[in-house]
Amino acid sequence: MIRSRMIDAAPFFNRVYLPILCLLALTLSGCANMQGFLEKSLPFPVASADKVESNDFVVVRDDDVVGRLASVRLAKGDTLPDIARHFSLGINTVSAANPGTDVWVPEAGDRILLPMSFILPDAPRKGIVINLAAMRLFHFKKEVDRMAVSTYPVGVGTAERPTPMGKMYISRKKHRPTWYVPASIAADHRKKGDPLPPSVPPGPLNPLGEHALYLSRSTYLIHGTNKPASIGLRATNGCIRLYPEDVERLFAKTSVKTPVKIINQPYLVGQRDGIVYLEAHPPFEKSGKANWKKIYAQLQKIEKKSGCTLDWKKIKDVVIEARGYPVPVSLSPDGREKAMAKPIKIWHPRTLYGQPEVPEFTMDAWYVLAATLRDKIDARRLAAIINHQGPPIPARVLSKDDRHRVVAGPFDDKGAAKDAAKRLKIDLELDGVLFET
Amino acid sequence: MKKAFLVISMVLVLAMSIGGCATTGDLEELEAREKAMAAKADQAAMDAEEAKTAADEAIMKANEAIERAEEAEKRADERERIAAEKEKLAEEKAQAAEEKFQQSMKK
Repeated sequence: MIRSRMIDAAPFFNRVYLPILCLLALTLSGCANMQGFLEKSLPFPVASADKVESNDFVVVRDDDVVGRLASVRLAKGDTLPDIARHFSLGINTVSAANPGTDVWVPEAGDRILLPMSFILPDAPRKGIVINLAAMRLFHFKKEVDRMAVSTYPVGVGTAERPTPMGKMYISRKKHRPTWYVPASIAADHRKKGDPLPPSVPPGPLNPLGEHALYLSRSTYLIHGTNKPASIGLRATNGCIRLYPEDVERLFAKTSVKTPVKIINQPYLVGQRDGIVYLEAHPPFEKSGKANWKKIYAQLQKIEKKSGCTLDWKKIKDVVIEARGYPVPVSLSPDGREKAMAKPIKIWHPRTLYGQPEVPEFTMDAWYVLAATLRDKIDARRLAAIINHQGPPIPARVLSKDDRHRVVAGPFDDKGAAKDAAKRLKIDLELDGVLFET
Repeated sequence: MKKAFLVISMVLVLAMSIGGCATTGDLEELEAREKAMAAKADQAAMDAEEAKTAADEAIMKANEAIERAEEAEKRADERERIAAEKEKLAEEKAQAAEEKFQQSMKK
């Protein structure tokens, strides 16, 4: 009887209820509550990349931690600098958070951690605060009834030419600045056989990019870049570099006279919702010891004052590993820390912002054979590095048998190919060979 | 008296002579026992020889196995060394490429 009812009911469901069910599903998918429900219950990624905030946060009073961890599955052809830029992260933090992952030739399909959670630096929440060790800029803005912070990754000065620390302010701003080449950089380029003109006008060859905020400490700037892959590296002559899209936003939101404080805090402690977090970055040279002593004392004080137990073994691991993102180090009876440390899975975006595109291989064009390698991975790495030069040089791998040729191009004419070959020689020490197809 | 002493002595000598002399049965029994003992000894010697041969074989096999294991271990070590060298080389190449890249990111 039951069987016959079931059989009889099927066509009815198909014809009448199925369209109704479809309609209901479509309606519910647009419902915010349903999306929240799905995000909590489904085992596969549910958040789209644009739903995870990477720059702008509201600072809840007494909280020091903003943002949340996320993870994304790598697609074919992704590099870590591409992922870093799309999610407004520095290559330093993406690499540190994913040890063992090849920066240039990561395995497609691997899930990588996006450290989009930050402990606010131990400094007054006013104006711009730049933490050199974290290679991150925080721009605090007091709104009517709350404190907001916008945060961006930066590139900072090398060990030889470090970024100066201390208090300063924005003395002026300039859209499309001209770069007046400092004597030290001019000398470096002369040595490499690449003499620079006294000044470089705005355009793709200008390393300041499209926006510059001049600091009161003369010769130091916060500016954009024509080498976006350098964000998260110690590659400047003391200036602070931002991704072009980030500096544009900072430029628009920052007024002249905004105070700027540059600090160096490799270890940061913060609390959110009663959970104690520790964030550790690889310290610059010998700067870490004093900061660690201070943080250790702070942790002891928190433990004593709040009565919450801290996991000291974990604290030690966090400091040694220096993964560059906040890790819960308190122990609560309900184990909330574990849930808070779990990253949200997000879909891979259709396109990664700023990812270099390699034009089709065309005939009637000029190319530069950059290298011929036996190892395909080495060839892919070199092509990726060439693609991420500033300005970018398109490059691809052409494989035949066990020979993998790294070819830069296409270039419209021989002159452009020659220029590219010169850059490959000066910047990457590659002896390119020009050819026409 | 002297005669009696002589007779007694002779009887005693005779008795002693007769007492020290084994019968044919005794001799046969003795021979059989000797044979059995010899056979047992031979068997024991053979067993010992066989055991020794077996032990030698076992030792030889064990030595061979150890040699093979050592060879395998050597091959594994070699493979590991080559893999480590390859990995090191790959790491060095990646590191060198990264250093060049970082250098190229300067102004």
